[in-house]
Amino acid sequence: MTEIKHHAYLFDATRCIDCRACMVACSVENNIPMDKTRIWVAGIGIKGEYPKLERGTMVYHCMHCDHPDCMSACPVGAYTKADDGPVTYNPDLCIGCRYCMNACPFGVPHFDYDKGIIDGAFIDKCTFCPQRIYNGQEPACVETCPTDALEYGDRDELLAKAHARIAAHPDRYIDHVYGEKENGGTSYLIISHIPFTELGLPNLPETPVNEVSEKVMAMTIPFALGWGAVLSGVAAGVNLYNKKKEEAAAKENAEVSK
Amino acid sequence: MTKTLSRRDFLKIGGATSAALAVGSMIPAPVARAAREAGHLNADGDGYISSMCEMCVWRCGVIAKIKDGRVVKLDGNPEHSHSRGHLCPRGQSGLMTTYDPDRVLTPLIRVGQRGEGKFRQASWEEALDLTASKMQEIKDKYGPEAMVFSSTHNLSQVQFENLLYGYGSPNYGTQRSLCFNAMIVANLMTYGMEEPARSYKDVKYILLTGRNLMEAISTSETSDLSHAIDEGVKVVYLDPRYTKTASKASEWLPIRPGTDLAFHLALLNIIISEKLYNASFVNKYTVGFDELANEVSQYTSAWAAKITGISAETIERIAHEFAAAGSHALAHNGWRTSNFVNSFATQRAITALNTISGNWGKTMFPAGGEEGGVLGKPPQPPYPRISALRLDGVPWKYPFVPLKLGIFQELRNGIFNSDPYQAHGWFIARQNPVLSLPDRNRTLATFAKMDFIATVDIIMNDTAWFSDVILPEASYLERYDPLNVVGDKAFLRQPVIEPQGEAKSALWIYKQLGERLGLGDYFQYTDEEDYLRQQLAPLGVSLEEVKAKGYAELPSEPGNNYTWNTTSGKIELFSDTLASAGFNGCTTWQEPPQPAEGQFYLLTGKVAQATQFGTQNNQLLHKYSDEPRLWMNTKTAADLGLIDGDWVEITSEVGKANSLLHVTEAIRPDCLYLTPGYGHLSKGLTTAFGVGASDSALHVTYTDPISGGQALSQTFVSVKKA
Repeated sequence: MTEIKHHAYLFDATRCIDCRACMVACSVENNIPMDKTRIWVAGIGIKGEYPKLERGTMVYHCMHCDHPDCMSACPVGAYTKADDGPVTYNPDLCIGCRYCMNACPFGVPHFDYDKGIIDGAFIDKCTFCPQRIYNGQEPACVETCPTDALEYGDRDELLAKAHARIAAHPDRYIDHVYGEKENGGTSYLIISHIPFTELGLPNLPETPVNEVSEKVMAMTIPFALGWGAVLSGVAAGVNLYNKKKEEAAAKENAEVSK
Repeated sequence: MTKTLSRRDFLKIGGATSAALAVGSMIPAPVARAAREAGHLNADGDGYISSMCEMCVWRCGVIAKIKDGRVVKLDGNPEHSHSRGHLCPRGQSGLMTTYDPDRVLTPLIRVGQRGEGKFRQASWEEALDLTASKMQEIKDKYGPEAMVFSSTHNLSQVQFENLLYGYGSPNYGTQRSLCFNAMIVANLMTYGMEEPARSYKDVKYILLTGRNLMEAISTSETSDLSHAIDEGVKVVYLDPRYTKTASKASEWLPIRPGTDLAFHLALLNIIISEKLYNASFVNKYTVGFDELANEVSQYTSAWAAKITGISAETIERIAHEFAAAGSHALAHNGWRTSNFVNSFATQRAITALNTISGNWGKTMFPAGGEEGGVLGKPPQPPYPRISALRLDGVPWKYPFVPLKLGIFQELRNGIFNSDPYQAHGWFIARQNPVLSLPDRNRTLATFAKMDFIATVDIIMNDTAWFSDVILPEASYLERYDPLNVVGDKAFLRQPVIEPQGEAKSALWIYKQLGERLGLGDYFQYTDEEDYLRQQLAPLGVSLEEVKAKGYAELPSEPGNNYTWNTTSGKIELFSDTLASAGFNGCTTWQEPPQPAEGQFYLLTGKVAQATQFGTQNNQLLHKYSDEPRLWMNTKTAADLGLIDGDWVEITSEVGKANSLLHVTEAIRPDCLYLTPGYGHLSKGLTTAFGVGASDSALHVTYTDPISGGQALSQTFVSVKKA
């Protein structure tokens, strides 16, 4: 493999068969609890009237934006954008304010309501499998994909590949690589036979949203920190409450199984 | 009453599983030592070990990541031609089958009534002694034929066969008549081989008859088809249901169930009458072309249009397109979506279509067996002479069905009807006939007639639930199996972790039973590794080398690609063998039965997140699969006054089932679809129990008189609000 300057994914909706091997692979690789996931399937499902039907699915996880809104929104700097692509999240710094969830135009970071501040992480999202990509392996979701609907590589090379594929089959693809420019560019690139909005992707300007939001956020940080403290207190309380509830449930279960 | 898991249940499963995945135990010595010596594990016992998947029968190569003595990830082996570095969702979920909290980890002996689920733990010694003594008792009292053996085909099948034939029983059940007897017998009659290999490298036109490759995933073939579509290869897909394959095909033809045959007969007629076939190939390599031409001349596109619901113009266009692709065309044998008593004739028509296109050597190739003649095997005496008739009627009622395929549903019927004699015991390995056979009520009634039932399985599947003794097998990540030949390599399944609990390999279990039954000569290996060493002996390769590499290279045998193992030595478009038994020697039209007024065709078909009846309890697959519901066309639902999410009662002539309704445009208005393999009866399957409806409770038993195939789509049902 050539040296990767900017790690990226290319997703081709024409190839995706919605088999969900990527979802399972991610769950296993990253030891995701059974009721959680870091990858979702979106799309139109089945559209039309029998027998004129159309189907389209997209799998997506963190887009690893070049200008991550989650990072801009985070009041404590829990997010980092690596020079080589991945957007990572540090649970040790997170205060559970959930601003990133609201900021992300793709709805990717999700809050772990089962965990409180004592357990650590509040937010969960795709990590770009650093344990794999920095050891010569593809990310788990990419490696397993039976139809190569998901590919991994250097962003420039994947962009070239995406454009070449569109050029070779103009009748098949919409002439656009989603993520090339959206929101200032993402590291998850998408080509499709179905309009991107129908796959569930937002119409985003080329100017990153965070260039606007950061100006606003600059003024709100002092407030955010204060709020963060309040929210942390609430979260810790909720966690204690949950723990008690779980214990009660466990007791109940134990009695039932007797 | 069927129920679904609530979110609360789901969360509970989540808790249990994350705990299961996180708690580690040190990797026990033997595996660790071998893997360390091979350089796969570091001093901490972490690393990667190559083995083979068994989440379905495609057998992809896997590389297991081991951490602290536990499998933490499986990746596809890039060196294995079936996986090429990929795995499907089932393959990815494999470790959850091994770490299923419902694993049976010690031998169990029934203490309550059958089906009550009350068992006690037993030692291997006790469970094996009991099983062997019961088997011996049945043999002494009623003769060896009173003991039935069945197992879904797998790599240790050869030793399973030693157990049953050494014991002296003719009664051998496999799963094959429920899957693809029609295809295999048709291929044998035409080509003299079970299933020629397909190649997508030079393909330009693909006709898929109910072959839902995008959901019934065979990793490399699914990948091949996907890449062919990518290249712009035209794919025509016949299926009454808009599957994921339909959505990827160039053209989807929602054909009326049971009429694939009419469609293919018309294609043959057009291609032959317009002389669009490959005459030089036909002249050189086939027999019976004139008979075929004569037979199909009556089947016009107008005739087929009326039967299939596909317009005559479309049929003619497809015939012309298929013929234009010449030897680059491929007509794929389907085997699930539309299985009727005429499926054998359909399969014969497909083989004829391939043959006259001259695609042999381009898109279809001869395929060898998986056992591989170059490998060694432990010595064994010949089997005792067996004179009793088989309960499944092979070959005395069904002369064309190979003995090793058999007819599973007829075996069950033979036991049920005590025809031609009564069976008393049933030894079942890795198989779930309670759910896989049609007409579940009859299967359970058949079980009730048995004096003794023993089941080898890794979890408490439905058949184990109704058994007297359960012998826990090690999962595919915990055991050795005999080598698997794929092309010019023999691949190894080896334990990547030690068996959990007291689970043991099939090779060990069969040998133990064999020795107790005085059949030790059929099991001349000291242990699994010794078995493999005997297999490898002629190659001069050490087991250690194979363990390290994951496979052994085989000497390439230059074969003649243009001889066929048929009576004539050629491809037989007309079969004298069939004709002399009173059947039509060519493929010919057979009218399939149709649902009565107010009834529907009941279809089943695979989903990517399950394999048959054995994986529904895998929590990872459960997590990512769609809730199984009964599919019904929107218009049909409106006519019946039903809406999406209604509970409905489905009734066939043999049973009832309740299901949630999925109202969709993606199916013919006269068809219903049910995901197979749900509706489990075993409460020992805590994830799968109570999920979905059972297709086998509804399926009616119909056996094709030539191939013995179960006509799985030939069940008609009515539906009402539950």
